[in-house]
Amino acid sequence: MSSLGVVETAADVAAGRRTAVSAVEDALSRVSRHEEQVRAFLEITGEQALAEARVVDARVKAGETLPLGGVALAVKDNMWVEGRQATCASKILEGFRPPGDGTVAARLRKAGAVFLGRANMDEFAMGSSTENSSSHVTRNPWDLERVPGGSSGGSAAAVAARFVPGGFGSDTGGSIRQPAACCGVVGFKPTYGRVSRYGLVAFASSLDQIGPLTRSVADAARLYSVIAGRDPMDSTTSARVVGSPETALSRGVSGMRIGFLQEAEVEGLDPAVAADLDRARAIFRDAGASVTTVSVPRARVAIAIYYVVASAEASSNLARFDGVRYGPRASEADLASLYVATRTEGFGPEVKRRILLGTFALASGYYEAYYGAAMRARQLLSDDFSRAFQGVDVIVCPSIPAPAFRVGEKTDDPLTMYLSDIFTVPASLAGLPAISVPSALTAEGLPLGIQVLGPRFGEDAVFAAARAFEAGTEFPDALPPAVA
Amino acid sequence: MSSSSAINPEVVRKVAELARLSLPEEDLPRWAGQLARIVGYIDQLKQIPEEAFASPASAEATPVRQDVPVPGHGEEALVANAPRLSHGFGVVPRVVGPGGQG
Repeated sequence: MSSLGVVETAADVAAGRRTAVSAVEDALSRVSRHEEQVRAFLEITGEQALAEARVVDARVKAGETLPLGGVALAVKDNMWVEGRQATCASKILEGFRPPGDGTVAARLRKAGAVFLGRANMDEFAMGSSTENSSSHVTRNPWDLERVPGGSSGGSAAAVAARFVPGGFGSDTGGSIRQPAACCGVVGFKPTYGRVSRYGLVAFASSLDQIGPLTRSVADAARLYSVIAGRDPMDSTTSARVVGSPETALSRGVSGMRIGFLQEAEVEGLDPAVAADLDRARAIFRDAGASVTTVSVPRARVAIAIYYVVASAEASSNLARFDGVRYGPRASEADLASLYVATRTEGFGPEVKRRILLGTFALASGYYEAYYGAAMRARQLLSDDFSRAFQGVDVIVCPSIPAPAFRVGEKTDDPLTMYLSDIFTVPASLAGLPAISVPSALTAEGLPLGIQVLGPRFGEDAVFAAARAFEAGTEFPDALPPAVA
Repeated sequence: MSSSSAINPEVVRKVAELARLSLPEEDLPRWAGQLARIVGYIDQLKQIPEEAFASPASAEATPVRQDVPVPGHGEEALVANAPRLSHGFGVVPRVVGPGGQG
């Protein structure tokens, strides 16, 4: 059975070669065969998806040209989609139904996309393995004993297993790019301010950004161009012109200055990842780019900065979950115990850990030493990147420090888990666009990813370089073993 | 990687109270151990010299939304998820008067 990509599906539906309904039926049939092993979804909304597909077919028949006609999507459970729950894989939001589509879902719907299901995630997007979901652990289609990465692990696994041509995730410190790399798919985090967060449940508001997961760079460019751009409902969105990501794909890298991140090449780097970087250097050189090394010195302290800033913002954002306006309520004894019991029962251990860490960093007596210092260091990191981009057009580094780990391997050691995001957090802190492209399979058959970072609002250069790299890799087109 | 001396079970108890979370007394040492290790790692930020912090903020200003009314989701949608409702308002336990806690 075919499992077409985003661009191909939309082209087929637009040309009348297939209907949106048949595209969704194909997706549901693939899900029915392999979802039991992968468990990418919290809920499959097949009936609703088919109803939406019928609307798309009617629109096509009426003469509309839709950039995403009949494209079935897996959407992370922290995004509002009309008629579906959005629980952030948390017990505290069990049963929550948003009042309608968020901006991203509305733009996708207008473009003809169909919502196949709610993708699993780490609770409130806090994690790097999808093991922190309050529902279940999603498995990596390349090896069912391993995690899919996180926090958008359900979306990444659904795309890797070819249940859907595309998925959406949110990226706060790497939650799109890290699972994409672990699952052998493309994951793109736009510049902070490019995509509206209206209808995205907030984790860390100075970092959160929505982006696509797909099997090709071209598919990511298509999904991104549909969702990007100013939205009056999110004041942090930029009015800058979005550019032409799809046109940029064919631009190539001839004459482009590509800087490999010096700080990524540390002692003790996984040999498979080091070899992957060498191959990437050769691919870019062969494609005509001028390859150099650049230094972003504060990338070394990015994880330290991130866990202060993100946790501080999370502790503030998650204060709203108190059993008054949404979710189950745990006590009616008095107001204080209503808050405390609801939060204590509703949040899982990792969310509590981040709330405690954030509350500590913002508490009187510690604020200056932790939150203040982290904010200043974050500015220095951004300055480092600005300097680096004076000499290069894009920066390249690995997406993940090692291939996907085994389920349960890091659950007792939060700090080691946090270090899984060491290569993705720098771009998040500086608000830069960054994409992870599948690069190779290790000897054990596990995917690795190479990351391309651009200057703020430099999406076109990122897509041009990513496409050139993708064309030069020999990442297999074969199905992952678990779903073959 | 060193543990931070800033974290001990007493600090964790106080922070949990501020965060409206209840942690069982017997679990406090475990929470303190984990958080001390994380904060110990974060302490490397203290090694960045103070004079390095002179750079000006470069964030773009956030534009404000035009102050014009637009249709919203309506009152019904806003309260639809509340666990307890009365006459369109969310209900919480009594906070003032007899039986209340002030």
